[in-house]
Amino acid sequence: MVETFTPAVCGSRRRQRIAVVSFALGAVAASALVGAALGALGQIIGLRVAAVAAGLALLAAAREAGLIRLPLPQSRRQVPERWRAELPLPVWSAGYGAGLGVGFLTFQPVSTFWIAWAAAVALGRPLAAGACFAAYGAGRAVMAVWPRRRGADPTAAVEELASRHGALLRANVAALVACAALLASAQAVDAAVVSMGPGLDPSVQATVLARAQMSSGTTSVSVEPTAEPAVLVPDAASPSVDGDLLAYADSGGIQVINWRTGEVVARVDGAVSRPALDWPLLAFIRTDSTYKHLILADFTNPGSPSERGIARTLVQNDLGRPSLGGGRLAWHKTTNQASRITVEMLSTGRRVVIVRSRIVLEENPALSARRIVWVEQRPRTSALRMRRFDRRRVHSIYTTSGSSRLLWTTALVGRRAYVVRWSLATRAATLLRVSF
Amino acid sequence: MPRPDELVDRAARALSTRLAAGMTRRSFLGRMGGAVLAVTGGAAVAAAVRPETSEAFHFCGHIWTTGSCPNPLGLPRIDRKGFPLRAADGKPIDNLGRLVNAHGFPINGSGKPLLGPDGQPLPRAPRTRLCEEWVRERYGHDAKQQGSWYRCCSGQIRKLVDCCSPSRKRINGDASLTGYCWNGNRVFCVMYYDSGLPC
Repeated sequence: MVETFTPAVCGSRRRQRIAVVSFALGAVAASALVGAALGALGQIIGLRVAAVAAGLALLAAAREAGLIRLPLPQSRRQVPERWRAELPLPVWSAGYGAGLGVGFLTFQPVSTFWIAWAAAVALGRPLAAGACFAAYGAGRAVMAVWPRRRGADPTAAVEELASRHGALLRANVAALVACAALLASAQAVDAAVVSMGPGLDPSVQATVLARAQMSSGTTSVSVEPTAEPAVLVPDAASPSVDGDLLAYADSGGIQVINWRTGEVVARVDGAVSRPALDWPLLAFIRTDSTYKHLILADFTNPGSPSERGIARTLVQNDLGRPSLGGGRLAWHKTTNQASRITVEMLSTGRRVVIVRSRIVLEENPALSARRIVWVEQRPRTSALRMRRFDRRRVHSIYTTSGSSRLLWTTALVGRRAYVVRWSLATRAATLLRVSF
Repeated sequence: MPRPDELVDRAARALSTRLAAGMTRRSFLGRMGGAVLAVTGGAAVAAAVRPETSEAFHFCGHIWTTGSCPNPLGLPRIDRKGFPLRAADGKPIDNLGRLVNAHGFPINGSGKPLLGPDGQPLPRAPRTRLCEEWVRERYGHDAKQQGSWYRCCSGQIRKLVDCCSPSRKRINGDASLTGYCWNGNRVFCVMYYDSGLPC
């Protein structure tokens, strides 16, 4: 096909340049789109498949080394010649570029292209995958330019390349082995979804994770700093950790303690629950006979803390679980008419409804300085949703299907979200860490 | 230049769409025999007049092709006010498909509250009308229940309800019919209500 871009076909040097540029643009754009689509597919699937892709890369390497025989999905089509006669030059040359750039419409002599597909899905990031795949289109474009730059006959250039088939195969083997190693190490270091064992109501800050644990009908809170032994707080539930401080609910109300020393720092008595701590701020739910109130208490002066009502709803509705951080407060409110998740900027009082629905259940938000995650429940799926505050797009970063395995409360730090997956049948709860 | 068979196919599709869009269910059926249009080759025609190959028999009493309204469990069974019911036994369900009590709290098969992993009863989820709320949120249409008709199903009178909207497309993605809708509305999707009255 490369001989298409000669003055004999294009008519002049100028038209030839137009054709080559159009071809390159078409090839790069098409391959980038394919990569982005594969990355988006990986994102939708929600589970990264790096281990599978690494295995496939090893198989492909063995194939290219001649150790095993494996058929490849192939399309032996060629670019339609009649386009040159029927279409304007920029259109047919860009079309040729797109046809070759997508890759799967034409013959693939080695399996590396398909491994790139698997890797793009494993990556699960449309932009990054698109950028990587654009290199494939650029490579296609180089084949249209390279012979001309060397002043060689295009057909001779292709034949020269074909004569180095053995070296190219060996280069592919090396590339595939390297790809497998990278994918495998990525899986080991940063697996997308990792089970953290039993637990619910996670709270995380920097290197400290806290969770509630149910055992024989009693609840305790486990504080788990990295590289230090865990600290267990008995008869406690619904933890929220902030550095060395831990807020939790017990039978008398909410306590804020230093979990290293056990010293009680603050206490709120009464029918209060679901604390969220960002010291000296403490958000919680207070329930009276008619309403549930979301309260934000300020313990700047611990002797006489101030309280501010943030939201309320009838007692039969659901309010909470609040999340405090980065100068924001997030909470959900669910009635039998709708559910919504709201974030308030504490400095300005400005409120933003992150999501609202009259159909599905949006609940249990957790926020960091830049992002918010929450659980979205539909009849047959339960999804962990994520959005950056400076963008409108929402991503599903983890999904369960079926009506018996559901998602519950969440926590968020950096690019790691924690979510509780539980069984409706057994009520067993497992804490998952989802890297995104 | 399109081939002659493509021209015929395109013309048939356009004709059937115009006919389907401009006539009521009965007039369309009355004036247009399925065979006539199907012979001309339009795929849309075949979809419109051969209910046995479409979603038309997805529930008893519904012999037309318009699809079910969105619903939690697969069949658009509703109560008198349009809220979702479990198709198998007519018990109320919330938007997540869970059985609920009179106050909207999720319950198990024996009527006890469903408990969460913390041992507390699960909170209520939204329970909203399939036509007015579900269609509006999912498809952005200002939909409402309008016309209805009746059939005998499983020994009781079933009311089949048109969920009508101004949209010229129905839930299936093709042209919508006037059906039993009025005020310029057309059938977007269908639901049913089992009356309990023997027939």
